[in-house]
Amino acid sequence: MIDHILTFLIAIPLLGAAAIAFWPVDSQHNFRLIAAVALLLEVVVTVVSYLSFNSQDAALQLSEARDWITLPIGSLGVVSIDYALAVDGISFPLVLLAVVVLLVGVVSSWNVNHKPRAYFALYLLLSGSVMGCFLAQDFFLFYLFFEFMLLPMYFLIGLWGGPRREYAALKFFIYTFLGSLLILIVMIGLYLSVIDPVETARMVGLIGPDDAVHPDMIPQIQQWLFDGKIAPEQLIHTFRFTYLADQGNYIPGSILSAASEFFIGNIPVRLLAFWFLFIGFAVKLPVAPLHTWLPDAHVEAPTPISVVLAGILLKIGGYGFIRIVDGFFPAEALYSAIPLAILGMISIVYGGFNALGQSDLKKMIAYSSVSHMGFVLLGIAAFTPEGFNGAIYQMVSHGILSAMLFLLTGVLYDRTHDRRIDHYRGLITVMPKYTVITGIAFFASLGLPGFSGFVGELFTLMGAFQSDALPVWIPAISTLGIVLAAGYFLWTYQRMFFSSFWYKNATTQVLTDLTRRETLMLVPLVILTILIGILPGLLFDLSGPTIQAWLEGMK
Amino acid sequence: MPDIAFLLPAYLLLGLPFSCFLLLWLGGKSLNKFAGWIGVLTTAAGLVVSLLYADAGAVHTLRFEWLTIGSHVVELSFRFDTLSAMMLAIVHFVALLVQLYSIAYMHDDRNVNRYFAFIQLFLFSMLGIVLSGSLLVMYIFWELVGLSSYLLIGFWYTKKRPVWAAQKAFVLNRIGDAAFLTGILMLFYYIGSTDFEVLSLEAGTISPGILTAIGICLFGGCVGKSAQFPLSGWLPDAMEGPTPVSALIHAATMVAAGIFLLARISFLLTVDARLVILVIGAITMVTGAVKALKGWDIKKVLAYSTMSQLGLMVMAVGFGSWQTALFHLATHAFFKAGLFLSAGSVIHAVTPGNELPGFEPDYDPQDMRTMGGLRKALPITFICYLICAAALAGLPFFSGFLSKDAIITEGFLWAAEFGTLGYLFPVLVIVSAGLTAFYMTRQVWLVFFGEKRFPAIVHPHESPVAMWLPMALLSALSLFFWFSINPFNAEGWFLHWIGKEHGEQLVWVPFIATAVTFLSIFLAYRETGADNPFKVNDPIPVGEPVQSPWSWLRGYSNEQYFLIPFEVITKYLKAFEKNIVDALVDLVARGSLVFGHFIAWVDRMFVDGAVHLTVFSIRSAGRAARNMQSGRIQSYYIVTVMGVFLLILWLVAL
Repeated sequence: MIDHILTFLIAIPLLGAAAIAFWPVDSQHNFRLIAAVALLLEVVVTVVSYLSFNSQDAALQLSEARDWITLPIGSLGVVSIDYALAVDGISFPLVLLAVVVLLVGVVSSWNVNHKPRAYFALYLLLSGSVMGCFLAQDFFLFYLFFEFMLLPMYFLIGLWGGPRREYAALKFFIYTFLGSLLILIVMIGLYLSVIDPVETARMVGLIGPDDAVHPDMIPQIQQWLFDGKIAPEQLIHTFRFTYLADQGNYIPGSILSAASEFFIGNIPVRLLAFWFLFIGFAVKLPVAPLHTWLPDAHVEAPTPISVVLAGILLKIGGYGFIRIVDGFFPAEALYSAIPLAILGMISIVYGGFNALGQSDLKKMIAYSSVSHMGFVLLGIAAFTPEGFNGAIYQMVSHGILSAMLFLLTGVLYDRTHDRRIDHYRGLITVMPKYTVITGIAFFASLGLPGFSGFVGELFTLMGAFQSDALPVWIPAISTLGIVLAAGYFLWTYQRMFFSSFWYKNATTQVLTDLTRRETLMLVPLVILTILIGILPGLLFDLSGPTIQAWLEGMK
Repeated sequence: MPDIAFLLPAYLLLGLPFSCFLLLWLGGKSLNKFAGWIGVLTTAAGLVVSLLYADAGAVHTLRFEWLTIGSHVVELSFRFDTLSAMMLAIVHFVALLVQLYSIAYMHDDRNVNRYFAFIQLFLFSMLGIVLSGSLLVMYIFWELVGLSSYLLIGFWYTKKRPVWAAQKAFVLNRIGDAAFLTGILMLFYYIGSTDFEVLSLEAGTISPGILTAIGICLFGGCVGKSAQFPLSGWLPDAMEGPTPVSALIHAATMVAAGIFLLARISFLLTVDARLVILVIGAITMVTGAVKALKGWDIKKVLAYSTMSQLGLMVMAVGFGSWQTALFHLATHAFFKAGLFLSAGSVIHAVTPGNELPGFEPDYDPQDMRTMGGLRKALPITFICYLICAAALAGLPFFSGFLSKDAIITEGFLWAAEFGTLGYLFPVLVIVSAGLTAFYMTRQVWLVFFGEKRFPAIVHPHESPVAMWLPMALLSALSLFFWFSINPFNAEGWFLHWIGKEHGEQLVWVPFIATAVTFLSIFLAYRETGADNPFKVNDPIPVGEPVQSPWSWLRGYSNEQYFLIPFEVITKYLKAFEKNIVDALVDLVARGSLVFGHFIAWVDRMFVDGAVHLTVFSIRSAGRAARNMQSGRIQSYYIVTVMGVFLLILWLVAL
């Protein structure tokens, strides 16, 4: 099993989805039970993979690869698409996060009564494709999962959402879809430019079909490639991340090779490709000004979907930045460090101010997400160990905290169908437990030491300060974000929870405190944010070696 | 003692209050009866530990590895030295007395367990600041102090004002903290560590310009926490919290953390940075004193006075003498805590009936206009108040005289080096010392002398022993001999103990300072003989006081939750988001739709037209072809002939 453990991570939810779709008895209890069992199994498998993951090792681990599509296309060489999965220090923290958030999401979906069969099937479909995104090691496979995610998401918002759900779902879909078109264009360019050195070596007969690959072989074949010794028909093109990340595998004279002479206007094609990829993932993160789908999608999405959206889907944007954008175009990323960091800074400050101005609780949290994800971009733009590790940490931390915040909003919405901040006052007197947990979530999110939010912000900012590519004023202005966070969270807390109790619609009996199920889904998140807030090494030890090796390899 | 021996006190000093916090918080209301005593015992144990391990003159550092990023190890370090030994003693001692006092003062509150839990949380964080061996650790606990201050100011959460005061305090502190964090991160960049030992060795490697910037950024933390201009607005509002909390946190300990920070980083402060610090301190000192002149709320007058005194301490750092700043911090901690506790005793006495401390009667029991003539009913409170007020006003034979005197001397010495303009600052100190004497005389008179102005339902009575004992101890500590044997020479054992070398004395300073103080007291005393002394008989205005046009900048007691500039930016950015960014997206969407319709029209007219045309031509051709097969024999004949002709032609051509 251990050889295919990552396949299990993708297959379990997908099989669960199939099981729900074909389950004979039409009862919601079965569907939610199947979903819960599938994700519990997922947790077990993740724990097993955590135990077999060696955090000291910077390389890809638990890898499995299989040829999927091989198609000779004449003078353009051979198309080779692999089914390749693996994890390393960059993706594994996010896989852990995803599993936790997905499970919590199912607990939060417990009372979905409207078309439960479709809901839970789509939810598991979404879970499977999310896992696929983080595990895929082949750009084509990644893109497949990346695009496929849109489908269940579109329906989950569009069918189970709030009053403006169709608008929000469509906006979400079009935004992300346009972003992924840009990714697709670059993907084709990359494909035309990069070869698989191992398979090419087999093709030209450097090694036999079943021989093991010698490490020295790859520089040799790269030298041959560089010298133009290999005929175009014999080049085996690839989508594998590892090969795309190695500039030695780029065919000289191809459109995206390091010494590419191609220009569009005055802009080198490689730089253009970098920005295309960046925009594609920036929509997901989201980066201001490409964020406007997010508040709408969140406000209209049902609670569990908001949780998954903020907790996991946004992180695919950040993951894409590190693995793909910076991974394949490091020189361009360094060259563009300042504009990227400025975009991060704008997201932080702009999102913060907008959060301050919201009267809808969910919208406020959505804008706070924009602000907090700005720190991720800032850390990535810094191009320092602190910055990258901080960005990964901040993604995990924000995943936990935003999940908590959206769940808490959902608790209130379930009771009153009203999310207006100014419709509530003094909730502490009727919902004391809820108030305490909201307080923890708010203080953790505004970066109080002892919780995870502080560490994420500290290290992304530290990375940005350490960076030689960035001027000091960018992170200095970004610290305004922590002031704004205190402003919007505490102001909301004061308005909704303190002073004497008052609710606009005066139905006090509806406002009951947290149920056991709600406590069950919130408390683990509280524990996690404190745990990694006090012992951030738990995450930094996972991501550190990979980032370190990657940065050293670049030099 | 070896460094490793300090592992135990570090665990105890931080662990005891934190476990006590958890116990009291999670223990619930069942602990209400014992909560106070649990707190008192924990703090007493802490006091014993800190006295046992006080090792003045030596430095002991404990380092713990927190995490590794790349090749960079981030450590958390804790430090035991003279400075921390002094602060440990002060914090524990004041906290012990305040908790003892609170047992009686908060006696009737339903949430007493939470109150003592939060006090312990505060102690945990404050001790963390005191023991921190690096700026990073200090920042961590700095923020936690902010949290506990938030929780304690907003302790009576069902009332509106304490809650917004709490939030205002946190947010204004956060602004300072953002600057503080920036300074810390800049140090990480330039030096790679914020450990005080490393900093003291390597500070010289940074260029002076950058060091000045770093110094000012770090001072930002002090501006927030020690309520310096322009972030001082939260301190008067923080008086909405329970009075013992004001004594502990907003007079003696937390607000002093900023001064402690400056003392810790004094070696980083360049001449330029110190000048900025000096100016900010002077502005705070003067505005605080002026505000205190006109206040009517007994606690707010003390709060403004605290602000003013903190400004004075900051100025002392600006003069380059952090030792005198700490000296004043120590004396101030005792007499100001004493004043607050006594004020609490007064408020307790004039609040009618047995209501809860959170109860709101129809008049303001904290307004000095409804007090007067209380010295007979509250003799012990009166004496304590008088002693502490004398110390604050800087009368000879009291502790405040010594420390203020020391700062004035340092000021003149600094000015002699700086130049003529520099004399402005020590003169300002003397002037505001005069103001201090004036407002304290005014307050003592308004509260304890003159006619009784409180409503008839109030029967003032002396507080129980648990309340007056702490007051008495604190006023005893406001006498000179604890700090220096000679009442006119500040350079006693205390200043030497915290590390001040023997300095120059200016013989005339005590005389000038005393003269100004007595002159002010005389002026205030003369006012009491007037028809309407201090305008006390003017009617009490209803509603919120009128705000000055600039009050938004500082937000003194302003209902505004946040600095108004932020609100304006927020308003515009929200409009920008809605009307520009999102509208643009919608426009693009709508544009695409229109374009889509256009394309559809083009498609219908031209592309489809072309298709139609093709279809049409094919159809006509077909029709033409069909016409050929009309069945007419002539046609067949013609076709046949033509075919044969073409065939022949083809054959010939071959």
